[in-house]
Amino acid sequence: MKPYVSITLATALEVASSPLSLLVMLAAMALEVFAPVFHYHQFGDPTRMARDAALSALFTCGAVFAVFGAIRAVRREIETGTQEMALAHAVARGGFFLAKAAGVAVAFAVFAAAVSGTAVTMFTGAAIGGAIAEQTAQLARVYGPCVAAGVAAIVLPLVLAAALNRFFRFRFVLTAFFIAAGVSVAGGAVSAALSGGDCLRLVPAVVLVACPALVLLSAAAAFAVRFRANAAAALCGVVLAAMLPAMDVYYRAESLSRGGSIPLGDVALAFAAALPAVAGFLIFGIHFSLNRE
Amino acid sequence: MTMEPEIVVSLNGVSKTFRDFWLRPTVVAVDALSLGVRRGEVFGLLGPNGSGKSTTIKMILGLLSPSAGEVRLFGLGPRSVAARRRLGYLPELSYLHPFLTAAETLRYYAGLCSLPRREASRRTRELLAMVGLEEVANRPVGGFSKGMARRVALASALVGRPELLVLDEPTSGLDPISTKEVKTLVKALARGGMTVLTTSHMLADAEDICDRVMILNHGKSVAEGRVAELGTSLEEFFLAKVGDVQDFALAPFLKG
Ligand SMILES: Nc1ncnc2c1ncn2[C@@H]1O[C@H](COP(=O)(O)OP(=O)(O)OP(=O)(O)O)[C@@H](O)[C@H]1O
Ligand SMILES: [Mg+2]
Repeated sequence: MKPYVSITLATALEVASSPLSLLVMLAAMALEVFAPVFHYHQFGDPTRMARDAALSALFTCGAVFAVFGAIRAVRREIETGTQEMALAHAVARGGFFLAKAAGVAVAFAVFAAAVSGTAVTMFTGAAIGGAIAEQTAQLARVYGPCVAAGVAAIVLPLVLAAALNRFFRFRFVLTAFFIAAGVSVAGGAVSAALSGGDCLRLVPAVVLVACPALVLLSAAAAFAVRFRANAAAALCGVVLAAMLPAMDVYYRAESLSRGGSIPLGDVALAFAAALPAVAGFLIFGIHFSLNRE
Repeated sequence: MTMEPEIVVSLNGVSKTFRDFWLRPTVVAVDALSLGVRRGEVFGLLGPNGSGKSTTIKMILGLLSPSAGEVRLFGLGPRSVAARRRLGYLPELSYLHPFLTAAETLRYYAGLCSLPRREASRRTRELLAMVGLEEVANRPVGGFSKGMARRVALASALVGRPELLVLDEPTSGLDPISTKEVKTLVKALARGGMTVLTTSHMLADAEDICDRVMILNHGKSVAEGRVAELGTSLEEFFLAKVGDVQDFALAPFLKG
């Protein structure tokens, strides 16, 4: 088991140290912070706006993160020959592929946790801010600090990582990735505590929206074994197009974030839709790995 | 009756034909090759560029599958995980993860060899000292020179204390002093009981370290024998066997 754990960890760190991953994660967080703010001025129900912005950021940025993370992780090993080095060890080809895919999934889990943390924070912020704004009709004074905090949450990790790199030789991108994720999750935890845990209902909704990204992740990893990066990305586009008509299976925000008991049937249906697809693509990937020279 | 030495690697009528997208044959890289590497010996696979040395090695490691014939590694199929647990491999080019430091690279390969954490750290320190890279242990290998990368790759091949060491042109990219060090190292490892399969163009180097050699040309074995029994120098022997392979048409450039 140990060789596969090593491969998974190394892959997760590689994905987390890619500038693209950091950029996509910060972009998702920025979307969550800013998208609702622009709308507060026009529409009501800011909590709903915060929630929808978070879920769409997770879906779009998550798809990019998963697809490009997986393609890069698999292709680089093939193209630079390091896969040959790994496979000359006591490592089975199918196991190598699964360990790579698992490594990307681990990095994706950190990304999803960061996005959820920000989602919970913004949801709570919108609930409190919306209530105050309604009473005082002073939008700018409520949302100003909100946006400032959001910007700080995105900029501070970068500054901190730069300092750690300058003085202690920490790896900049990797450090920034984990600090940003940590700050976001911590912010989410504090907000959840402040709001009495109500906003945590958002988390299952986030998990379900992450499901299609996992389908894309396994598809990208499998295609990358067989095809070059561009072709694999194009094929993932086809998979995404095939999934879009049934996206509402995964988008359960309304039923999940409402009060009352959690509709388990909806959750089960979403998992039932995602699991066979993930498993199918992984089996394809193993098959491609066994047959490639 | 004397005990026959154990055969660690055996090839029996092995061929490899590369094919294009439509499965048309493009190159016959290895042609009906048979060989046996005995436990404890240093076996050299020699031959001009493109003679099929690397292809043969990749088939032994299970990285390529033969089009015909049978490869056995420790008596098992080369795709068997158990067989590969016992070998170390230095590829022709030093394939390394550019973002890992030298020490992290060795620790990563120690993980692939299932070494426990404590032992992995000790082995990493030991090997970095052995290949003279202690000072750059914490620099990413992406920025290493060719020779430095070669040393990291060589150290990686030794992490798991293999029984069989497979070296594809171990001295390529190394300066004369490092070349000599690598030769000394290989001899020391062989004295310690390790079986070594190596390829090389450097006939003088091969002559120094190998007990037995096989010369390949166009994927076929043209000669095989113990270095001590050649009679002539390996270089003369090689040229006599491989003959006048003329890869370069130099004549027009040498006029006047
Ligand atoms: N993946 C491949 N696809 C197609 N042909 C290949 C492939 N790998 C090797 N060949 C061909 O097989 C033949 C033998 O190549 P190989 O790399 O085994 O030679 P070599 O003896 O290692 O040469 P060198 O000394 O230059 O490393 C060459 O003609 C080469 O073009
Ligand atoms: Mg070669």
